[in-house]
Amino acid sequence: MNGGPARTDWGRAIWLLVLVVVVGSLVVSEVADQAPRTNADRVHALAGDFACPVCQGQSLGESDVPIARTIRSTIRTMVDEGRTDAEVRTMLVDRFGEDIDYTPTGRGLTGLVWVLPVLAAAAALTGVSLAVARWTSGWPRSQEGSAGGSDGVGTSGNTSNRNLALVGVAVVAVLAGVLVARTAGDRTAGNALTGDIRSSTRTLLAEAGVAAPADADALYTRVLEIQPSNVEALAYRGWSRWRTGDRVAALVDLDDAVASDGAFADVRVFRASARHAEGDHVGAAVDLTVLDGLDAPPIVGDLLATSRLRQRIAGALASEGELLAALELLDSGLDAAEWVGASRQPERAALLAERGWLLASTRVPELVERGLAGLDEAVVVGPTDPYALAYRAVVGMSVPARADQVAADVQAFAVLEDPPADLTASLISLGLLDG
Amino acid sequence: MNPVRRAALVVGLVLAVLVMVFATREAVRDRMTTHLVGAVAPPVAGITLDGTVWDIDDQRGRWVLVNFFSTTCVPCIEEHPELVAFAEVHDGSDPAVPEVRVVSVAFDDRSSAISRFFGEHGGGWPVLPADTGRIAVDWGVVAVPESYLVTPSGHVAAKVVGGVVRDDLEGLLDRGLAAVAGDRTGS
Repeated sequence: MNGGPARTDWGRAIWLLVLVVVVGSLVVSEVADQAPRTNADRVHALAGDFACPVCQGQSLGESDVPIARTIRSTIRTMVDEGRTDAEVRTMLVDRFGEDIDYTPTGRGLTGLVWVLPVLAAAAALTGVSLAVARWTSGWPRSQEGSAGGSDGVGTSGNTSNRNLALVGVAVVAVLAGVLVARTAGDRTAGNALTGDIRSSTRTLLAEAGVAAPADADALYTRVLEIQPSNVEALAYRGWSRWRTGDRVAALVDLDDAVASDGAFADVRVFRASARHAEGDHVGAAVDLTVLDGLDAPPIVGDLLATSRLRQRIAGALASEGELLAALELLDSGLDAAEWVGASRQPERAALLAERGWLLASTRVPELVERGLAGLDEAVVVGPTDPYALAYRAVVGMSVPARADQVAADVQAFAVLEDPPADLTASLISLGLLDG
Repeated sequence: MNPVRRAALVVGLVLAVLVMVFATREAVRDRMTTHLVGAVAPPVAGITLDGTVWDIDDQRGRWVLVNFFSTTCVPCIEEHPELVAFAEVHDGSDPAVPEVRVVSVAFDDRSSAISRFFGEHGGGWPVLPADTGRIAVDWGVVAVPESYLVTPSGHVAAKVVGGVVRDDLEGLLDRGLAAVAGDRTGS
């Protein structure tokens, strides 16, 4: 044939092109995947390379449990000290064993993960080579058989065998692919050219934060499918369910969140609120007391202040005869918060006012006196705190020497913008305020 | 035998052996928590709740019980009376009873909460309240409470994962004392 050599050259050129593309792609991908440059990048990368010791299937970078946070912090310190990745790796493996390392070593049983795929690939290659050799050696014979006046049964048999073998190889290849895909783990956004790109849990949590309750519930559930112990998802799904009336499921989630990470401040507030609503004021007080020992973000303090949750729980405890527990709860709040800066003074005044009111409500002269002293302090700290003014006015009614002060407090209360309706009603019913 | 069948049999046997080996391996978490015993105790040093410096290296020649805890962990609250009882018996006042210095290392906690915890539950031993993350990692602490008995030579004699029970601690101490005595006799 005339075109034979030319076609052979074209074939070689195409194979060469394929080879160049494959090798080039590998080189580019390797070069593009450069080592992280900043310390933060290195910490992030290292945290992703190690397993959380107490979690199922989560890396140190993904987990929110205290030990994972602590190890991340240690990695950060070591990186900042100039330690190499190898030194960090050695330290972690020394402390927690080889199983913490997602990159297995070549020693012992762990080495099998490197050896087995190579052996499997070699076996597969050998099998395919043998099969191909068999087909190519069998093909001419079947052609000859056909040409020799056979009835065609031999050719048909070989073809069906070959097809069967091809189907078998395809099935094995597909199964192997599925197996590899399942054991290779999910790829996260920005980490893959192909494959199942999932939203990060952080993205899902952010989406849930602005979603409608039903959608938020689904988003938190998706986070929990990825990270079953994600305390933020558990806590906020519980709170979302509480607010939509699913109380039983809400309390289960909140309990799970506390069990997962008792130091997560938000869940302590959520559960305290839920427990208080359920009549478990002692349990609610425990949660707030634990919260006082945590390094809670400012928003949690704001939430507590605006909801007056601590005061309401203390009031409920006192009404059940647990005055000491009520005072301890208020004291815990007063002791824990750092009352530096004008912005925190209203909250402090509110706690002092509640404390003074509870003491004065005992009608025990000594405690009433201490209560009044507390109310005085509350008014000094928060001159426009409606509770401090109203409580002091009511308690002062029974102390003749404080008549002028009662009038002044009522007057100050009367000019407040939008005072609490219950306080206004109380003052009117006592004749201190005109209706 | 057909070569293909022979190969399949070999592969099957290898797989069976691998399944057996992996199935009988101890759990990952167990392996993560059983190291360190017999090794030199990692550093424990810091400022205690009462403001003094405490360093395990200064305790050489004495038994030390290093307890990792958190005020928010229920097993830690449950084990505390056992620790108090153990510490009282081994406070060194009775020459017939070996002295054991107890030190508590707070994990992911706050000083105010720790002070309250010890005020409510008792215990007069040194407590390291802050900057203890690195200590916990050095000791390979996975989840509190965890306790370690350290020999006078500074080696970890025993590790207790979960809440301690005083009788168990006494047993560990007895075994440790016997081992130390055996070493001395041997040498």
